[in-house]
Amino acid sequence: MVTLKIDGKKVKAKEGTTILEAARASGIEIPTLCSNDALKSYGACRLCIVEIHKKGNAVIETSCTYPVEEGLIVKTDTHRVIEGRKMVVELYLARCPNVKIISQLAQEYGIKESAREMGKDNEYCILCGLCVRACNEVVKTGAIQFAGSGVNKVVDSPFSKTAEDCIACGSCAFICPTGIIKINDLASTALCTPEGCEPTGPQREILNWKVEHKLKECKKCGNPYAPEPHLEKVKQERNLPTEFFDICPSCRKYPVIDEDKCLGCGGCMENCPCGALELDDKGGYDKKAHVYTQNCTACHSCELVCPMQAIS
Amino acid sequence: MKIKRPEDLKKIKKEGIKLLSPAKTRITVGLATCGLAKGAGKILEALRYEVKKQKVKADVVSVGCNGLCYAEPIVEVIRFGKPRITYGNVRLERLGELVKSIKTGGVLQDLVLMRHDEVKSAAGTESIKYTKEKLSKVYSGIKESGRLAFFRNQMKLVSRNAGTINPESIDEYIVLDGYASLTEVLTGMSSEDVIKEVSISKLRGRGGAGFPTGIKWQACRSAEGDNKYVVCNGSEGDPEIGMHRSFLESDPHLIIEGMVIAGYAIGAEEGYVYLNDRYLLAFERLEGAIKQAEKLGLLGKNIMGSGFTFSLKVKRGGGAYVCGEETALLNALEGSFGEPRPRPPFPAEKGLFGEPTVVNNLETLANIPLISLKGGKWFSKIGTPSSKGTKIVALSGNIAQTCWVEVPLGMSIKDIVDIFGKGTGNGKKIKAFQTGGPSGGMLPAKLLRLKLDYDQLNKSGSLLGSGGLVVMDEDIDMLDMAKFFAGFFADESCGKCSTCREGTRRLQEILEGIIEGQGTKEHINLIKRIAAAMADTSACALGKTAAVPIISVLKHFPKEIEGKLIKKRA
Repeated sequence: MVTLKIDGKKVKAKEGTTILEAARASGIEIPTLCSNDALKSYGACRLCIVEIHKKGNAVIETSCTYPVEEGLIVKTDTHRVIEGRKMVVELYLARCPNVKIISQLAQEYGIKESAREMGKDNEYCILCGLCVRACNEVVKTGAIQFAGSGVNKVVDSPFSKTAEDCIACGSCAFICPTGIIKINDLASTALCTPEGCEPTGPQREILNWKVEHKLKECKKCGNPYAPEPHLEKVKQERNLPTEFFDICPSCRKYPVIDEDKCLGCGGCMENCPCGALELDDKGGYDKKAHVYTQNCTACHSCELVCPMQAIS
Repeated sequence: MKIKRPEDLKKIKKEGIKLLSPAKTRITVGLATCGLAKGAGKILEALRYEVKKQKVKADVVSVGCNGLCYAEPIVEVIRFGKPRITYGNVRLERLGELVKSIKTGGVLQDLVLMRHDEVKSAAGTESIKYTKEKLSKVYSGIKESGRLAFFRNQMKLVSRNAGTINPESIDEYIVLDGYASLTEVLTGMSSEDVIKEVSISKLRGRGGAGFPTGIKWQACRSAEGDNKYVVCNGSEGDPEIGMHRSFLESDPHLIIEGMVIAGYAIGAEEGYVYLNDRYLLAFERLEGAIKQAEKLGLLGKNIMGSGFTFSLKVKRGGGAYVCGEETALLNALEGSFGEPRPRPPFPAEKGLFGEPTVVNNLETLANIPLISLKGGKWFSKIGTPSSKGTKIVALSGNIAQTCWVEVPLGMSIKDIVDIFGKGTGNGKKIKAFQTGGPSGGMLPAKLLRLKLDYDQLNKSGSLLGSGGLVVMDEDIDMLDMAKFFAGFFADESCGKCSTCREGTRRLQEILEGIIEGQGTKEHINLIKRIAAAMADTSACALGKTAAVPIISVLKHFPKEIEGKLIKKRA
């Protein structure tokens, strides 16, 4: 643990964490656009800048990338910091005046409009890189990347063509703070040729990456619930049987174990096709069956083999 | 043959002297990019043909650039027992005459630039005298190179071999004390000794920031890691200079030697040279040099029987300006996006592939062999109290003689422009100059007395940077220059940081507006505000300094901009 001072307040933080994490843990709010707890820090939006005093020098650094150090003095609300943040917001406002989070930030900092002399665009992407990093770091597909440099930088699929590695999981759209990534789930689509139209079933399209994928339909309720390549990836990662994906999660009725009746014989565990059941050690000879729902296909074969009718 | 002992190197050296001072006539053509652009390639071919045709016994060899870029193509003639004669501005139609003069023993007086009486090696131990007898009348009338102002005022340490040796021959490099420094280091110095010498020399990074090299090496040596790396930064993305290119095309082995020593000092076994993609000839020559060094056992496993292993690879970059920034360069080397990484951790702790890495500029590494050979104390006597050693400077712009020279630090910019560039050459006055590439400020002519010194230039709002020096005469519109650099940075920004990406674009737009006659005083205030935010909040030096040229124009040439402003927006 190291001790540092943020805005005059003594803060203890774990080594290797960042100033932003330490500040938030102690209730000091620092605005950010490009940071997310699930992702590595990137430092693109420059909104989280703070003033760091070290060896008599005051330097401006991004708090999301700067690691905590013993005896560090950090100030989050000096004139220099606020002026810097204001300019960041003003520049963002000139780039994307119609993005909600930007106009909210502008309101917070008392900016009505970016300087009239600055010129205006109407972009919706703020290039925070959250989608790119989520795709690379969390989903680990790497379907999209930044393309171009400087003012021409965009987030795009490879060569602006169909993103072939995209599994249409929708993480990018979920994490996007501006809502510019458009996902359409279509209930029914058709492939039309001069000979006539052939229905192809429900599909998901992500317009930004020019991707279309079939949605898997639930065998029980008939509703489409997830894109097929996404399920395929989960299947390979977790080594699950194909039947696991027949029923959508909301239709699944997971077995419930009555622990008073359960003998802990392990019969259900041996018969489970997915390895979703295991015996929990409750101490001594007392062992009880436990269902791991992330692997369970709700086939209820355990219910059939249980000698004590403890599973329902 | 592999070199296993220092004696083997001496053997090569002894035999190699015949190459530089041969019994057979040696004709050399300066074949760096500057020469090639002026047709030296054709000159070389034609010379070979002419020599055959006139049945002259002579070797025609290509060498690098000796700095006289304005006089290219350059041809040199060494006849046995006669001084080395340098011809400049050689045309194809004069070649017949030139070869004939070799046959008859004459000299083409109208083409001749100078004569060299001897060549000295790096350590000063070896001195090849071309002639021992008294000079005949034909030669004594030609000025000796050491007496010419152009060479007298230079201090050639790093560029000492450029233009003299064939860059494709390792033997010629060895003759002039090449790899002597490496021998010294591997046989008699510990890695701590090397770092100590570099620290004593007070050598500072030649890439721009001027960070002390010794401290960087020490940090990397004491950092923990499985592997360590030496990376040579040969990105040189500045638009108007090419001195590192000329230098690499002329003497590639010097970099290899410097890198092996650096690897030995910090405990690295692998090195990478990151080279600008446009430098094709430099790449080919460096690759060739690496192969030759590997063949002789000066690179690879168990170098000279010392047990030290070091391998070297060259990687061509895409030529982006931002990839000269060390962390962006590391990203590019790893094959990902050329974007700067957040610091800390610094590359010395966590660099290439997450391991401790030293990233040094090409010129910094080129200084290393001499420092370890002659000692840090000797090096620290050159230059000013804060800036030691020499600097290669490339002169361009409105200048009579475009050239690249190596001068001791502390020389005034006025001297450099007057002595080497010979002024503007068109009778016009110098209006402004810019040092250190695009990130340097444009300073007015009254500051020409500034000295070439890291701290002095920083104080005046410019920087020593990579060593480019661009001179602008009266006809140059400073606002236009500011717009050019704004556009340059808008293109070259990697686009990661919001302030740099958006700021450079807005600055470009505003300046375009002012030039079109739509600028008001508010525009000037906005430029200043954006520039201040960029300098504060950008992650790397590109964003921090992108507005420097614009701010310097606002500061030093306010009248040019005020004349363009209108009172109110139409």
